[in-house]
Amino acid sequence: MAGGTKRDYDGNARAKSTQELPRGRFHAMFENFRDELDEHYDRRERIIKASRDVTAQSKKIIFTLQRVKQPNKDFPKGIQQDIDTRLGEISKLLSGITADVQSINRYRYGFSLRCLEELVEALSFAHYLRHQTLITLEETQAAVPADIMLTPHDYMYGLFDLFGELMRFATVTTAQTGELVGDYERNISSDIQELGCAFEMLPQVPTKDFRSKMEVMRQSINKVEKLGYGLVVRGSERPKGWVPDMKDDDPRPASPV
Amino acid sequence: MSAPPHSLLDPSIFASLESKLEEETQVRDTLSQIVQRLERAVATAQGLLSRVHSTPRSRYPALVAQVEAAVKEEALIISELEKVASQHPYYKYNHKWSRSIQNAIGTTIYCAWLGGFPAESSSSSPESTSKAPEIGRLLTLEEVGAIFSVPTNLKDRDAFHLTIEEYLLSLVDLTQDLSRLATNAVTLGDFQLPLTISAFVKDLFAGFQLLNLKNDIIRKRADSVKYEVKRVEDVVYDLSLRGLIQRPSAGDTEMESA
Repeated sequence: MAGGTKRDYDGNARAKSTQELPRGRFHAMFENFRDELDEHYDRRERIIKASRDVTAQSKKIIFTLQRVKQPNKDFPKGIQQDIDTRLGEISKLLSGITADVQSINRYRYGFSLRCLEELVEALSFAHYLRHQTLITLEETQAAVPADIMLTPHDYMYGLFDLFGELMRFATVTTAQTGELVGDYERNISSDIQELGCAFEMLPQVPTKDFRSKMEVMRQSINKVEKLGYGLVVRGSERPKGWVPDMKDDDPRPASPV
Repeated sequence: MSAPPHSLLDPSIFASLESKLEEETQVRDTLSQIVQRLERAVATAQGLLSRVHSTPRSRYPALVAQVEAAVKEEALIISELEKVASQHPYYKYNHKWSRSIQNAIGTTIYCAWLGGFPAESSSSSPESTSKAPEIGRLLTLEEVGAIFSVPTNLKDRDAFHLTIEEYLLSLVDLTQDLSRLATNAVTLGDFQLPLTISAFVKDLFAGFQLLNLKNDIIRKRADSVKYEVKRVEDVVYDLSLRGLIQRPSAGDTEMESA
């Protein structure tokens, strides 16, 4: 667009009109396209911005939740407050783009709205810590603080990320308490295994994304299993506060979001 | 299997995920089959259109009639696609067909450019038999939609339609083929066609310049239009240098008075 004015040999601005008056032929049509495309680009921009912030807030909720010491209890006051404030923030951010992602536009900007996966991760983790059960799609939808439809895809990929959080939580609490936490004759190790089995039974989706999530999931399960093994084999010798080697702890490849 | 009193997960969660995934696979398969047929139909139309490069202008009408028939074949398959696709969120599956649809749009506008799909009520000279079809007409997105009997640029409801993006990309394809046609027309002794093409491609280029494109596929493809403009200009230059054409925009050029 920026190109300067074309000039003729004598330096006078070349009358573009001789060549460009006929351009009027498609001018109106392209102007209409421009308006439509601008609207689309602006909308996408808004969604990406909000999504980035919602992702950040969700991650912070997850960090906060990792500080919970005992599952199946009401969260300590400070933690609950922190979560509530951040959910309020998320609610504000999402309500700003609710109109942008209705009807046909919900899937159109699905990729830009990846924050919902992160939010599902946070909500499902909170739910597990509080109830030691897996949150359902309906419960997750109800917990989303905005009038935005959660797709099964958001839900499923959010749950994939739950494995990493469960693994971290298991690692820390095991180090602190010397046992795998859990009630109802279950513990976090058997829970993560059960959840893993459920995913293994699903029909495989032939995408790279799905395959890599499955792989990361298996690694997380494996790490928790090793914790259990460690407890049995060297449980008695383990000095209090000993933390397993965490060097390859982060299961997620540096994600762009 | 009796669920323990307090179990980790409600089995219906994964049963429902499973059925959704299976449904998606089915939808994809169905769409793939339709799109495959559409691709074949498009290939037929494109094959016919490629003959234009060795066809003198006087024989365009015969060729165009064949292409029109091929486009109608495309339209049949597209209406099938519309029926299936409209049952699902448009943008969930549109990647399956958008390339083929873009090509189908391309064959249609090319056909019309060569004189096909004459405007319904040719307001000008109603008597004159349409013996000399107009060359260089650009179908609008809406006109293409009408030929395929599908909506265009839908915003208020979630159903199958042709998008602006598909249309714009097909215009880029068109400029590419027209610049080739400019050369081949000269070879066949048609020195006027390059002028028509030149004016048309320049108009399109001017149109593309009006868009505020982001760094996406449209921008990448639209960037190539200027090279096509240049290629056609080179042809026109060669012709005018050798006095093989009258300069269209009279005035400053020293027209031979004879």
